[in-house]
Amino acid sequence: MASTAATGLSDGDFIRFAEYFYKRTGIHFAAGKRYFVDKRIDTCIRNSPYDTFAAWFAALRTSDQGPMLQELINQLTVNETYFLREDYQFDAMLSTVLPNVLAARGGVGRIVGPVKILSLPCSTGEEPYSIALRLLEEWDQIDHVDVEIHGADIDSEVLAKAAHASYGERSVQRVPKAWMNKYFAAVGAGRYQVDEGIRSAVTLHKVNICDTAAMRSFRDFDIVFCRNVLIYFDELSSRRAAENLYGAMRPGGYLFLGHSESMSRISPIFTPTRLPEGLVYQRPTGAK
Amino acid sequence: MGLVRKQAPQEPEEALPEGPSAEILLSRLDDPDPDRRRESALGLVGAPEAVPAMLARVGVEEDPRVLESMLTTLAAYDTEDVAGGLAVHLASDEAGLRTAVAAALATMPRSFPAVLPSLLAAPDHDVRVMTAMILADLQHPEAHTWLVRMICQDPHPNVVTGAIDALLPSATTDDVQLLLDARERFPDDPFLRFTVNAALPRLTGTP
Ligand SMILES: C[S@@+](CC[C@H](N)C(=O)[O-])C[C@H]1O[C@@H](n2cnc3c(N)ncnc32)[C@H](O)[C@@H]1O
Repeated sequence: MASTAATGLSDGDFIRFAEYFYKRTGIHFAAGKRYFVDKRIDTCIRNSPYDTFAAWFAALRTSDQGPMLQELINQLTVNETYFLREDYQFDAMLSTVLPNVLAARGGVGRIVGPVKILSLPCSTGEEPYSIALRLLEEWDQIDHVDVEIHGADIDSEVLAKAAHASYGERSVQRVPKAWMNKYFAAVGAGRYQVDEGIRSAVTLHKVNICDTAAMRSFRDFDIVFCRNVLIYFDELSSRRAAENLYGAMRPGGYLFLGHSESMSRISPIFTPTRLPEGLVYQRPTGAK
Repeated sequence: MGLVRKQAPQEPEEALPEGPSAEILLSRLDDPDPDRRRESALGLVGAPEAVPAMLARVGVEEDPRVLESMLTTLAAYDTEDVAGGLAVHLASDEAGLRTAVAAALATMPRSFPAVLPSLLAAPDHDVRVMTAMILADLQHPEAHTWLVRMICQDPHPNVVTGAIDALLPSATTDDVQLLLDARERFPDDPFLRFTVNAALPRLTGTP
């Protein structure tokens, strides 16, 4: 049961491992997180043909980027999320941000191309589907404007779950009953699946937000939600994530962070804007 | 109208076209379009051959966003060469450059200690104030000790005040005497006095 004994990770091993993982993901584990890390490495080793940390770690580094790394990422990411989390930000999106985006892009009827919204990281999909629900139910322009919603995450397992989109009670407990009836189907065992119409409207991608080359395929987003991931990054990874998001956004585009996260300490490239519902960051319009 | 799926079928992410080579990116650091320069600077992560060229541009790049991107890429090296190359700009006349460089140095815990002695000995006291700001954010087990040393030893009240400010978030009762001594050393400096007086109640637990 004693996880450290099982992996036999020495302090030196842990540091080397933490460094490797940081380079691959931007996620930073201080020594205080050992209880969390050791247990999960243990699981990875047990699922592998290797029986010592040294052998497993050597194989991981040789196969780099392969399925071993992906399994490790899937184990070591914190995927907790639920529908309509921090939904005051969705209020802000509906009341202020979307009208501003439309106005900046020429107004309804004259806007060219869809309004693009990105949820990164999207984890198991609750966030992009929440955005879809709020737009369909509460945005009076939804029938006059095209909206594209994208979700992205580094963890392939959560993305598979997001694509399947079936959720337990806990995850959907904040969804109004009427919306449940309209957009979810009970699929047994207390689980509810988002209807096909919404599922197929959300495009999912696997991406590491710190990977500048991979992030190049994300362009021209009007609104980005990047919530509850920067807290796992150190300052340098956060800066790189911020830069990559900047590149993914239209000038004037809006960025929402989690409530305990702040951009100003990380990177001055965005302009903070205070809305009645809270703080949002904007990619400046002037400088291209 | 309404929710629409992305039109073009999604290409598998793996099949992304290769980005431009480091050589091309390097030449684009001089592109008149700041967006291009910004993207090149970010794209140069993991191309150590680009470090000298980027360091040379830190002092001349005029667009603050391009500068940020270069610093993000450079700071990832966390080597003494990069730290040294950045630290010279702490003496710059441009506040924007100074602060941007300080923020980058604060993310370089491995190499910053190597440039610290020369920064602590810098004749320009503003450089030493910036150094205290960096130590406030640097994730290094010795950062507290270095700040204590600055508070005890630096001859300039602004530097000592800066170091006190930097120390306060991690200060404990153990640091009270240090602050009292500093206040006594500069009795005529109102700002230092104010900083110490404002901090004491929390540290001593008296209202
Ligand atoms: C706590 S969830 C946040 C989900 C959602 N945004 C929310 O606020 O509820 C954090 C997610 O970040 C993802 N993640 C961690 N590092 C990442 C990286 N470097 N790039 C992309 N996603 C990452 C994890 O896989 C996990 O699904």
